[in-house]
Amino acid sequence: MSNDTLTHSITFTETPATLTVVVDPTPQITRGRAVVVERRRPKAAGWSLLQGLGVVVDHWRKSFRKLEDPTQIAGTFTTEYPEERLPLPEAYRNMPILLFDDATGHELCTSCFQCQRICPPQVIHMTQAKDPETGKPVPAVSEFIIEYDACMSCGFCAEVCPFDAIKMDHNYELSTADHSSLTVHKAGLLRPVSYYQSIAPTFWAEAEASAYKKLEANKKRRPASIGIAPQMIEQVKAAHKLGDGQPEAASPPAPVATAPAPDAGSAATPASNAALATSEGDLPTDKAARLAAIRARNEAKKAAEQSASPAASAAPTASDGDLPTDKAARLAAIRARNEAKKAAAQAATDPAQPAAEGAATALATPDAPLTDAPPAPATPDAPLDEKAARLAAIRARNAAKKAAQAEEE
Amino acid sequence: MSTTPDTSPSPRDLLREQLATVLPHTLVTLPDDLPELIRTADVIVHADALPEVVPFVIDQLGYGLLSDIAAVDYVEHGLFELVYRFYSIGGGGDLVIKVRVPREQPDVPSLLPILPGARLHEREAYDLFGIRFIGHPDLRRIYMWDEFEGFPMRKDFPKQGDNYIGEGA
Amino acid sequence: MITTDELQINIGPQHPSTHGVFRMLITVDGETVVNLEPVFGYLHRNHEQLAEVNTYLQNMPYTDRLDYFNSMANNHAYALAVEKLAGIEVPERAEYIRVMMVELTRILNHAGAVGFMINDMGAWQTPLAFGIREREKILDLFEMVSGARMMCNYFRFGGVVRDIPDEFIPRLKKLLIAMPAYVDELERLLRENEILLARSEGIGILPREVAVSYGVTGPVLRGSGIAYDIRKAEPYSIYDRFDFDVPVGSVGDVYDRFLVRIEEMRQSRRILEQIIEQLPDASGGHINPKARQNVRPPVGDAYARVESPKGELGFYLVSDGGPKPYRYKVRAPSFINLTPLGDMCRGYKVADIVVILGSIDIVMGEVDR
Repeated sequence: MSNDTLTHSITFTETPATLTVVVDPTPQITRGRAVVVERRRPKAAGWSLLQGLGVVVDHWRKSFRKLEDPTQIAGTFTTEYPEERLPLPEAYRNMPILLFDDATGHELCTSCFQCQRICPPQVIHMTQAKDPETGKPVPAVSEFIIEYDACMSCGFCAEVCPFDAIKMDHNYELSTADHSSLTVHKAGLLRPVSYYQSIAPTFWAEAEASAYKKLEANKKRRPASIGIAPQMIEQVKAAHKLGDGQPEAASPPAPVATAPAPDAGSAATPASNAALATSEGDLPTDKAARLAAIRARNEAKKAAEQSASPAASAAPTASDGDLPTDKAARLAAIRARNEAKKAAAQAATDPAQPAAEGAATALATPDAPLTDAPPAPATPDAPLDEKAARLAAIRARNAAKKAAQAEEE
Repeated sequence: MSTTPDTSPSPRDLLREQLATVLPHTLVTLPDDLPELIRTADVIVHADALPEVVPFVIDQLGYGLLSDIAAVDYVEHGLFELVYRFYSIGGGGDLVIKVRVPREQPDVPSLLPILPGARLHEREAYDLFGIRFIGHPDLRRIYMWDEFEGFPMRKDFPKQGDNYIGEGA
Repeated sequence: MITTDELQINIGPQHPSTHGVFRMLITVDGETVVNLEPVFGYLHRNHEQLAEVNTYLQNMPYTDRLDYFNSMANNHAYALAVEKLAGIEVPERAEYIRVMMVELTRILNHAGAVGFMINDMGAWQTPLAFGIREREKILDLFEMVSGARMMCNYFRFGGVVRDIPDEFIPRLKKLLIAMPAYVDELERLLRENEILLARSEGIGILPREVAVSYGVTGPVLRGSGIAYDIRKAEPYSIYDRFDFDVPVGSVGDVYDRFLVRIEEMRQSRRILEQIIEQLPDASGGHINPKARQNVRPPVGDAYARVESPKGELGFYLVSDGGPKPYRYKVRAPSFINLTPLGDMCRGYKVADIVVILGSIDIVMGEVDR
């Protein structure tokens, strides 16, 4: 575009007739005056340069002292990161996290969708848990996803949550080279209440009473182990002998204690959704082998206890399963267990299937490799015996194989 | 929200009264049964009367600071509304002049010959709504790139998708 | 016969001194600027259309990102507009907290603006670091109160999101003790400095007679000698309870605007002291308990404006009775203050352009929305 289409050329040498002079009326100012700022000239040539230099030298002199107090204006203040970190105020908000009760492992979230609705960039997605037998919604959340890379940390989700389940974290060290790991799933979002209490004691103290009261009411409406954080499932089951049937018990046995809990970086590579928050100590470092080892451990447990796998997989949306109360199904499960014991020595094929079926819950997101596997044997009624037995047999075989492999490493 | 009691007429009433006496042909009287969304108590003038009304407002009434020209798209009623907001350097509330033009032919005389401050406001209204300002010597897009087709803030412009080419696509 | 030609050069959009992605197409004859045309749109995010898709409350964090330097001021203007539209009242203590935050923002902004302007003049990072030093202390206060340093998202309809913690006022008092020394030091470093004078006196003059025709507001208008400050001209919130002066310039050049900003920092400090004295106790409540955040205002329109550190920031909202705005317009001061840029720069040298731009104090988040 050429410049001669540009508008009027206004010269300020005189006031052109087209411009209206709008100096009058004069502004009326109450409780103050209009003060004309004082323009100064330097007293002597070069004087102000020396004065400015004086300020700089003054600061240089005082910079050898460490700043202790906000009223000091000269001094040095250095925080040697990463060995030291600046303390953050309680209200500091970075990304959201979900809370679960330390003692019982119950998540405070009831999937009420308030945070999903209020989120301005719409980065929260969740699925409500359903009772595996009746199919009715249960006040628990089965899957919860937050896209950390688009979250603007506005804090609205934490503000509107009626159950104090989602809170703002203080962790700002979230850099990662793996972009997909910034889509964080529930297991990566969960932290114990003790963690939140340590970072924001006053806020939690205000919210604690009502949050626990509501949690008690919700726990009554949650059957079996629905609504228990994956990090705590094993512990809780051991403590309460809830029974078996956790197809997605492919979570680590060690509960996540305090502070730097599963950070988003190592959190959700697609294949390891189920293996989140692993206690890294006793596992091999190579990812595939680690995954295999985890699966082996779980399958070994399952083979020992003989999960009622058909019934568990009959609730594809629930992350937890149940020992079916239906007699026929239970009988079938026991038969399957026996079959598996018999079949333990046979050669195997297709290792990926059973573990995949366990880990593929209601993940609506494209966690491709896992969900490739077809959902496991269907309903509690159907031809249970053969399928269950076959499945159990395969599992036992793999368990044995993988356990042996893990032992080698 | 000033706490000083204001006994003088509000700028709106002052304007209406003055225009009624001095420039009566510029005022638009609205019918009483307008739909709620486009009902307004503000002064509405004819679009082509703007070059008369605005110098009157600036010189005679003393409201010389043009603060804002806002364009609103009332798509169900088929009109664009331009809200001109003036303030007086002496202080006080705003004086609002509204202009309504049909959506099919949104032509409004430009204020640029009178007030250089209207330049960027009018370019923005053109770029985002497609309102043509007659007499603006340099009516170009300001935010979108020059080859862009379509007017993004119109209500019939899609809010999703990549298919922005063409008006009302 | 050797003829000369005029050269068209781009300054920006990638440029360290253009205060964001801002492009200026200049036509130069040698070193003298013959014409300057600003080109915007590089940061255009269609904020206004986005606001029609979000509810009124969901828009609040997006207003933070308009003038990202002064997020509290944007929040204030938006909250005022929605409260005007929906008829929501604000309790006393909340008003005091709001004004406290906004005045702290003003100090923040002017310290940064002066620092950046002098940085652009070539004094590199030393005065900038002095300016930013106060910013850091105030940003720590914001972090304590709202949770974030810049994108505060602190205001709600009817008040603020949470009350100030107990350690806020003592820390603020300590800061105010140190404040005059900070400002005096910044001024002493620069006020009579010959280099600064040579580069800013008589540069970029906006004469008094035409300043208002351009629609400019804020320190640019006051630097030209017109004492129009919205906090005095049409007091909103509780500004009519405080004593403070309005600094004006006499010539309208860059030096005047620089001095006006330094003086406004002092006046903001004065207001803050009065706030601390008059602050009602905590029983006042930090938000109107009857105010619904998922507000559905009645059909109508409202315009509310504040004296943001850069000028008049206004929000024009049209409601159709639903939970989302029908029309949401931002009157951005930086955008309108750029109107006279071309005319102010004509006849000066290329190096002066950057200084003049710095004295207008723009932020592209606002200009482009």
